[in-house]
Amino acid sequence: MNYQKEQIKKGINLHTVETNKFKTNLFTIMLTTKITKEDVTKNALISLILRRGTNNLQSQEEISKHLENMYGASFDCGVDKIGDNQIIKIYLESLSDEFLPKGEENFKKSINTILDIAFNPLVENNKFNEDYFNVEKEKLKQIINSKKDNKGMYAFNRCIEEMYKDMPYGIYKFGTLEELENITNDKLYNHYLKLIQSCKIDIYASGKISENLKDIIIENENIKKLQEREGEYTKNSVNSEFRQEQKIEESMDITQGKLVIGMNLKEENENSKNIALVYNSILGGTANSKLFQNVREKESLAYTAGSNYIRQKANIFIRCGIEIENYEKALEIIRKQIEDMKGGDFTQEELENAKQYIISTIQAIEDEQDTQISYCFGQELTGTEISLEKYIENIKKVTKEQVVDLAKTVQINTVYFLKN
Amino acid sequence: MDIIENSKVKEKVYIEKLENGLTVMIIPKQNTNKKYAIIGTHFGSIDNNFIVPEDGEEIKIPDGVAHFLEHKMFEQENGRNSLDVLSSLGVDANAYTCNTYTAYLFECTNNFNEAFKELMDYVQHPYYTDENVKKEQGIIEQEINMYEDDPATKVYMEALKCMYESNPVRIDIAGSVESINKIDKEVLYKCYNTFYNPSNMALVLCGNFEIEKTMEMVKDNLVEKPVQGEIKRIYPKEKEQINKKEAENKMDISRPIFVIGIKDEVKDKVTAKKALAVEIILEILLGKSSKLYKDLYESQELIAKPELEYEFSNNYAHILISGQAQNPKKILEELTNKINELKEKGINEEEYTRIKKKIYGQYVMEYNDVDSIAGIFLSDYFKGIKPFEYIEEFASLTIEYVNQIFKEVFNTNKMVISVVK
Repeated sequence: MNYQKEQIKKGINLHTVETNKFKTNLFTIMLTTKITKEDVTKNALISLILRRGTNNLQSQEEISKHLENMYGASFDCGVDKIGDNQIIKIYLESLSDEFLPKGEENFKKSINTILDIAFNPLVENNKFNEDYFNVEKEKLKQIINSKKDNKGMYAFNRCIEEMYKDMPYGIYKFGTLEELENITNDKLYNHYLKLIQSCKIDIYASGKISENLKDIIIENENIKKLQEREGEYTKNSVNSEFRQEQKIEESMDITQGKLVIGMNLKEENENSKNIALVYNSILGGTANSKLFQNVREKESLAYTAGSNYIRQKANIFIRCGIEIENYEKALEIIRKQIEDMKGGDFTQEELENAKQYIISTIQAIEDEQDTQISYCFGQELTGTEISLEKYIENIKKVTKEQVVDLAKTVQINTVYFLKN
Repeated sequence: MDIIENSKVKEKVYIEKLENGLTVMIIPKQNTNKKYAIIGTHFGSIDNNFIVPEDGEEIKIPDGVAHFLEHKMFEQENGRNSLDVLSSLGVDANAYTCNTYTAYLFECTNNFNEAFKELMDYVQHPYYTDENVKKEQGIIEQEINMYEDDPATKVYMEALKCMYESNPVRIDIAGSVESINKIDKEVLYKCYNTFYNPSNMALVLCGNFEIEKTMEMVKDNLVEKPVQGEIKRIYPKEKEQINKKEAENKMDISRPIFVIGIKDEVKDKVTAKKALAVEIILEILLGKSSKLYKDLYESQELIAKPELEYEFSNNYAHILISGQAQNPKKILEELTNKINELKEKGINEEEYTRIKKKIYGQYVMEYNDVDSIAGIFLSDYFKGIKPFEYIEEFASLTIEYVNQIFKEVFNTNKMVISVVK
């Protein structure tokens, strides 16, 4: 992977991934801050307002026309929670110049457009355009309210909230209705100004990178306006505590029950994360995994059954869609799988398969532009720089003994069940 | 072996129809790590009445057989499950059934040859017993239940039921709990033997492949099967008009969702050119830069751009506009007005040129990764669309043609709306 990082100003970095695999270039801007109850909703709202218009392209319609003329370039803004940080993410994807008819060019236009969207929103009377503010505020309300529409996701979020009560990671990335009510346009715009002058800024470009990219950025008027900053964020986030298992049941009008089990594990060092990945893969990461085999295939208890490991959090979440009356039975079978892992009840073959699966995933990172950027950004946030080759090597080295040792530290924190 | 090359997207495909009738397409992609293989049979959920070429017998099967078969293909006679075998090779394997075909696929970075052998092996060797059919009924029942809770599936299926009275596209791909309980191993074997004949199938490979060697490897993995004549598919005659104007259902969601459908007819077949014209019109009507979208967004009727889609096969064709709205009927009303207005005025030249650029760009972007390329080549093949046909057709599109398609297809008497709230 041909990756480079250069400083534009203190706290503002340009990251480039040079590749000729794609028809497109992908540009991404990440604005990172610590996630807090006070600001989470404001940042979510900003991510919505930025889409609406800039001082140059004053409406969504104008932005869209501009992108359509760039042969279907696409852009979007969103918010993410990674560890204890909130990220406003703005991306723009456009065709590489070599796939455009002669005489057309996209590269410079793309980078200037995305900078315009991120740092030059339409401002009137020292605040955001009033209509945009009002519509997007209403829209955020809808988004927060629609949390329950996707039942599986809802159950997953609820489990996290219960595990991280009063802790940063328990905060919903779109914020709360209470906070939203209190936001005025003035307050929000002031917050935005403060945000862009203090947050950590990372600009990513992937594709056929023009040699003068750095110059284009440095000469961009919006970048010139930005000051040097510390760019504070949370490198080492706070994990959920080991505790007596708690059981939570909630009801909703559904046919299929959603079971989520949040677990803690002890990580001794950086390598523990590699071991945890392997552990998770054997337990519930693939179609070969214990959960998929025993809950779905052998017992026909569920259509979906699996687990995922949250790298920043030393947590594994088991997620199943089950028939409501099968709750006890499913739980019992799942517990048995966790116990079996502790007892080392898995074969060398299962271990190798799990590793092979993870390695394939790592090898595929370079084949998708957004995955590649996410990988680089993940490393940026943890302050690590491990090449894909080294990462693969580390996975290969994981032993059965290490997996069993880790398995012994695994403890259920919360069992969350969404039923009828 | 034929080679079709396209200079605009800078890609090419090698195509060969093998002796046993299987069509093979290989799209080489140097410098990608991922390799992708997908094999499909022209057997989907709508094929539930047909004549077996072998003996001329007409057969009617329960709803959901194609999907059931897909689930049951992984199980092997030696007790192994091919999904497990593939998974243990570190490859990402899957299968899916749609209205018109069923596909089996995997994606990998290593062990391609072993995985390919397994794929070909399981797709060519069915193994059904009373016991394993029974067990699968339990799993599929869960799947059907899962989709029953899904408002998006509900609203989509109801829109199809509004448009169609008898075309089987209106039936859920998985069938119903009742219909799948009628499926037994005999019916599975019958369908397998009819539809999983190589002459009814196609294989697409995409990735860093050596063409000659790969073609040999494909041939080495074929099981001999008798060459079969054409399968006669029987579809009920569908009336030209819609079945009913609207459907409304209640579910636990925060904001109503809707699908507006416009029923179209398939005279001979839907061409790539026509599909492009419809896509352009949809963007002009309700795309991100459209006046209508702007108005609906600002009045907060819509909170995001609706999905705009032209869905078609050799047997049905319709437009689907799906989204979330405070008052979906209002969207239908405004859209109808807009269509009438635009029919009178005709499409604006500047808009047409701009949207055409946009859609062209999107078609080029589809060549970004191996999964999307292979999937598109397979699905186009079953629709009778040639490789790169969309990209090539842009040159022949004219505003006159688009206006003509607009008048033909966007018939406001054939609009339906399905709402879940």
